[in-house]
Amino acid sequence: MAKILIVDDDVDFVSAVKIVLTSNGFDVIVANSSQEGMAKFDELQPDLVLLDVMMDQPDDGFVMAQNLKKKSKTTPILMLTSIGQVAGMDFDKDSEMVPVDDFEQKPIMPNILLEKINKLLGK
Amino acid sequence: MQIIDRQKVNEQINGLKDKYGNDRSALLPILQDLQDIYGYLPNVVMQEVAHSLGIHPVEVEGVASFYSFFQTKEKQGKYVIRLCRTISCDLAGKANVARQLENELGIKFGETTKDGMFTLKYTNCLGMCDRGPAVLVNDRLFAKVDAEKASQIIADCRRDFLKSDFPKVVPSDVKKSGPILKHGLESGDALKAALKMSRSEIIAIIRESGLKGRGGAGFPTAIKWQLAGAAKGDNKYVICNADEGEPGTFKDRMLLYEHIDTVLDGMTIGAYTIGAKKGFIYLRAEYLYMKKYLEETLEKRRANNLLGDNILGKKGFSFDLQIRMGAGAYICGEETALIESLEGFRGEPRNRPPFPVDTGFQGNPTIINNVETFIDAALIVVKGAEWFNEHGTEKSKGMKIFSISGDCANPGIYELPFGITVAQLLKEVGGENAKAVQIGGASGHCIAQKDFHRTIAYEDIGSGGSIIVFGPDTDMLQVAKNFLEFFVEESCGQCTPCRDGNPKLLEGLEMLEEGRCSVTYLNELKKLGETIQIASKCGLGQSSPNAFLSIVDNFKSEILGRVPEAD
Repeated sequence: MAKILIVDDDVDFVSAVKIVLTSNGFDVIVANSSQEGMAKFDELQPDLVLLDVMMDQPDDGFVMAQNLKKKSKTTPILMLTSIGQVAGMDFDKDSEMVPVDDFEQKPIMPNILLEKINKLLGK
Repeated sequence: MQIIDRQKVNEQINGLKDKYGNDRSALLPILQDLQDIYGYLPNVVMQEVAHSLGIHPVEVEGVASFYSFFQTKEKQGKYVIRLCRTISCDLAGKANVARQLENELGIKFGETTKDGMFTLKYTNCLGMCDRGPAVLVNDRLFAKVDAEKASQIIADCRRDFLKSDFPKVVPSDVKKSGPILKHGLESGDALKAALKMSRSEIIAIIRESGLKGRGGAGFPTAIKWQLAGAAKGDNKYVICNADEGEPGTFKDRMLLYEHIDTVLDGMTIGAYTIGAKKGFIYLRAEYLYMKKYLEETLEKRRANNLLGDNILGKKGFSFDLQIRMGAGAYICGEETALIESLEGFRGEPRNRPPFPVDTGFQGNPTIINNVETFIDAALIVVKGAEWFNEHGTEKSKGMKIFSISGDCANPGIYELPFGITVAQLLKEVGGENAKAVQIGGASGHCIAQKDFHRTIAYEDIGSGGSIIVFGPDTDMLQVAKNFLEFFVEESCGQCTPCRDGNPKLLEGLEMLEEGRCSVTYLNELKKLGETIQIASKCGLGQSSPNAFLSIVDNFKSEILGRVPEAD
């Protein structure tokens, strides 16, 4: 059973995604900040990370993605953010500044989220 | 009457378009050069510029009338004399200089002599607060002007033999240097170190240093650079905000002269980090005398491959920049107003979001940092985060460059750590007798003796570096009035609270001056001030009543119950 770490400070989003993922057979770990996320990543070694961008700081997700890639180049990161809607910003994955494997805007339909996760996990 | 040949104007405009570009962002420099040619901007010239750039003539007139350094109604004199009227020059005896200038010329401020020789104008802050009163004659600067010297300046102009106080550079009075000002780096050292690092490593080290923007707002530099670096876009920009207009601030003038290579290293490192190819230094119009020196420095850097293509042999890394002059608008120190100005519009702040890191110059990702911030960033890259945060407080790391003026024994530029108390600072500058200190310029707060134990840091009293000391004899009502006159003049007029609220506060101060303001009405004005703080669109409006409110709170007994002076 694949372990998925969700790092997001939006508790409503986290609970919704958790239901979708657990009902589809995934093990879900939740962290509400990038610090907590890094600690849980080290401790529980997830197979995939779902990562928000704006948490305590507006760029927490980008920084965490850079730090995660330093620890493990192989663990896929799916960045999920509403930064485009909230701040009007337009970002995409980039090998160095946004080193994530996929980048999606919130809100995201459950079937598309599952499709993306399965693809990243090589299923 | 001047006869203007349209064909000739068009030839001139075409030449200027070749120099500055074909799009609207070339509007301000084109108008500046045409004003130099014609002495003002006649209607026909503005119309031709409008046609040439494909915009409506009303737009051009709207821009020209917004900036105080553009003259649209009548030809200016051969010598445009601008006397600084902001608080430090006011305390140093501006009124006598003003009276003498009027006496010598037989005109009032705002007028031009009939022979077309002189135009007399007030201006806001020339950045010479430690050696006021300051006078700018065209692009020549004069400091410590008294009535006698004012008369001599006029006499020299009449003989067409005006000798500048500062023929080469305007010296700066650095009273205390620390690790920042004594950095010991040569041109390009910081850039070489940066190019050995990855972009994310540079951001990581700046993040670790805790560097916050030195312009006053204190936004973390690493976040700004990270967001701009992550933003999508092929045309990113780096802008240095050298529109040092906050009354009482003159440190950037010194940094631009004495540490320009470190500033440019910082900008180039910023460009490498976010992936920008182009940049601007937005230099305030009052510092026009500095432009030639800065352009020479840019040329040297191009020759040394510190600017241009494949910088220092780094394949694919190209960056170059231009100097763009402001046109006399304090509001253009606000980053979105600065971008509007660079794009050729009136300097009116934008709504945020979107932010410049994503939607900046011409809609492209842009970082805008203060002169001092670029220096700090460059030094951090070479010397490390630990070196930087040896000083300062938990939330305000590092050393800060302060501009100290007003009633103290040793005005000048000081490098001091964040977290210093107001009392310690006053001891340092010989201002122990002060009855109040203005921290953060006109938009800052006026601190009375009871609060001299407080610290200068973002978590207590934030500052972009302006410190104005008020001695025991200072009339605090006049101080408040000076600041409000400044904001009434400098409000861009876009939002109602700032545009209409500040004149009302100023009117209240005039009532206090005449001894006809009740406490009830004063309390109403305080409520109005608080409304301006929360309802204004930009930082200028939001901070415009700060000085009024703090002076009213701290010096109520001094400003109430005045007996008007008999004529």
